Amino acid sequence: MRATFPHLLHLDVALGILYPSLGIEIVPPPPITQKTIEIGVKLAPQNACFPLKVTLGNFIEAIEQGADTIFMVGGVGPCRFGYYGQIQRIILEDLGYRVRFVLLDHPRYGVWSFLSALRAMTGGRLFLPEIVRVARLSFAVLRFTEELETHRRALRCQVRDPQELDRVIDGTIEALRQVKTFGELEALKTDALEKLNALPRNGRKDFLKVGIVGEVYIAQETRVNFNVEKLLGDLGVYVHNSVSTVEYVLHTFRPLTRSREKLEAWELAKPYLRRFVGGEGIDSVGSAIRYAREGFDGVVHLYPFTCMPEIVAKGVLQAVSRDLDLPVLHLAIDEHSGEAGLVTRVEAFVDVLERRKQEKKRGLKRNGSLSRS
Amino acid sequence: MDLFLGVDVGSVTTKFVLMDREKRILASCYLRTSGDPIAALKEGLRYIEHRMPQGGVIRGVGTTGSARHLAGVIVGADIVKNEITAHAVAAITRVPDVRTVFEIGGQDSKLIIIRNGVVEDFAMNTVCAAGTGSFLEHQAVRLNVPIEEFGKLALQARQSVRIAGRCTVFAESDMIHKQQLGFGKAEIVKGLCEALVRNFINNLASGREIEDPIVFQGGVAANQGMVQAFRDFFGGKKRIIVPPEHGVMGAWGAAILAMEYAPQKTAFQGFSVVERNFKSRSFICTDCPNACEIVVLKEDDRVKALWGSRCGKWTPETATVRCEEEDENLPSLSSYPGCSTERCAMHG
Ligand code: SF4
Ligand code: SF4
Repeated sequence: MRATFPHLLHLDVALGILYPSLGIEIVPPPPITQKTIEIGVKLAPQNACFPLKVTLGNFIEAIEQGADTIFMVGGVGPCRFGYYGQIQRIILEDLGYRVRFVLLDHPRYGVWSFLSALRAMTGGRLFLPEIVRVARLSFAVLRFTEELETHRRALRCQVRDPQELDRVIDGTIEALRQVKTFGELEALKTDALEKLNALPRNGRKDFLKVGIVGEVYIAQETRVNFNVEKLLGDLGVYVHNSVSTVEYVLHTFRPLTRSREKLEAWELAKPYLRRFVGGEGIDSVGSAIRYAREGFDGVVHLYPFTCMPEIVAKGVLQAVSRDLDLPVLHLAIDEHSGEAGLVTRVEAFVDVLERRKQEKKRGLKRNGSLSRS
Repeated sequence: MDLFLGVDVGSVTTKFVLMDREKRILASCYLRTSGDPIAALKEGLRYIEHRMPQGGVIRGVGTTGSARHLAGVIVGADIVKNEITAHAVAAITRVPDVRTVFEIGGQDSKLIIIRNGVVEDFAMNTVCAAGTGSFLEHQAVRLNVPIEEFGKLALQARQSVRIAGRCTVFAESDMIHKQQLGFGKAEIVKGLCEALVRNFINNLASGREIEDPIVFQGGVAANQGMVQAFRDFFGGKKRIIVPPEHGVMGAWGAAILAMEYAPQKTAFQGFSVVERNFKSRSFICTDCPNACEIVVLKEDDRVKALWGSRCGKWTPETATVRCEEEDENLPSLSSYPGCSTERCAMHG
């Protein structure tokens, strides 16, 4: 068996530890490129969600590299995500690919059934405690990759040399791939945090703060969303992303355990949205409200072009934006999105936030024309 | 006298504004980009140079538009700004209590919401041609009406005919249909203007409050038929202002931003730029499946600036080498069998 899986930011680092430790040989898909997107777009139904198309591209490229088994998670709730795996399996079958499709789609069975299923597949060679250990280790690695990205978003506008920041973080993520024990992970953590602390700062303190909300795939996958985070960071903005793969994995396998943040976001969204609308619709609304409370200057809402839950969220966010005086930039992404238009929007949005901040600082009643210098 | 230069390079038109410290426009021009922004930039610079007042010195340069970075490198910009901010700044300068800006240009359109002199919200359409000036140009050609006459003709219509204009393709067939039904050109032109207004509002205004005064700017604002169609759309209840400088608002905004930015010493390269030998070209990077199209700006044989790399691996030096390699490997034209140099289009 040569197994593969879809890319989602640094998920491959964690899975690259998990599967081989269980005795499963893996063939990770090549990094997402324009070609991945083109393949997916060509083979998927035209009106399928954009994340389905990109992950389908991942599978095809991995199969070309020799993968014969695909691990795919399903989703929960009244949303198309639950069917991604099914549709992709049918598409691959129709194309004549002979691959095994393992759908880890029923959250009801939980993480235990997932692990014992894996164990069965590897011929039951491993003891359960060992399986638990590697599962915990890979999860801890995933958490740390996410922590590193949080630092990257926060620090980009504060360090003197953003390229050096990238080198530290990308270097650490590469090194994480080799981690075998918790001890090694801890050592890497300490080392990386020291390096990050030691990066020379530019001394800026009055940067704008922008929060990212949206659909789990598009809001995180920088190779698909034109790296909006970096764009913002390079414009001198402090960025925080409310979407997290760790959360998503937890939620998929243990639908009843939700982190404090998630419950809080849902609570905050209540005055606007009481019903589950599928995907991350409620989370987008709740997180935006939280950003407003925490004094963020604005929110960027990232979602696939035809995503139903997020279109609901968009409508609600317009009301939130009015009520809380919080600027929100909605960016719908799909294969037709052009980089130039997106960059223009993001730049203009940052200008809006900058001007608002200046006005507030001046304490004027905001009646002066901005051109009356 | 301290002067400021604003340059707006779009894919269809290129605009220049020369402005003094009172934000007065001393000279401006509106040119076709015709796929060659470098030539358009040079032409604009020549035009402005001839209109420089005695004792005038350029103290700052701002660029905007889709080729703002290219323009910034060639002309030497102190500030490079997106079109939305540039257009808003100019509209606020012209009409300080403006609350909404409609901007319809050749290849895109924008809606900007302004409150208390600050941009509050905006929307931009870059994908759908049915919401831009090219929609009208396209149909004008079909109807055999010069685009300049379009507006006047629309005003002559005695009744209006509804044209389904959700998309350029539908509009075209519906227009032909209405022609066959015997509607006159004036009515059809009026119907097209109204279709464009509907598209603009549907695409951009969704859920946004349109409050007046509205400043209508961009090349399409010259079209009186369009102005009338917007007035009719709001039932004559909203104040719509078309400023006299509507065609060059982006460039004007860029000039104002350059003045506000107040550089110590301008990066302006001087009018002699027109003598320099700039060329832009592109190559496809084959180092990974992203296959980025790297666009380079060359001065003589040296790469000055480059855009389009997703990973940031290219530097002017490596790109220069790459261009040279490509040039060497290019078969010379005369070696193509059957190439008659004089008549070959590739030589022209
Ligand atoms: S959340 Fe959006 S993108 Fe994801 S499956 Fe649902 S509709 Fe598709
Ligand atoms: S520029 Fe970088 S990302 Fe683009 S094709 Fe070349 S190697 Fe790939």
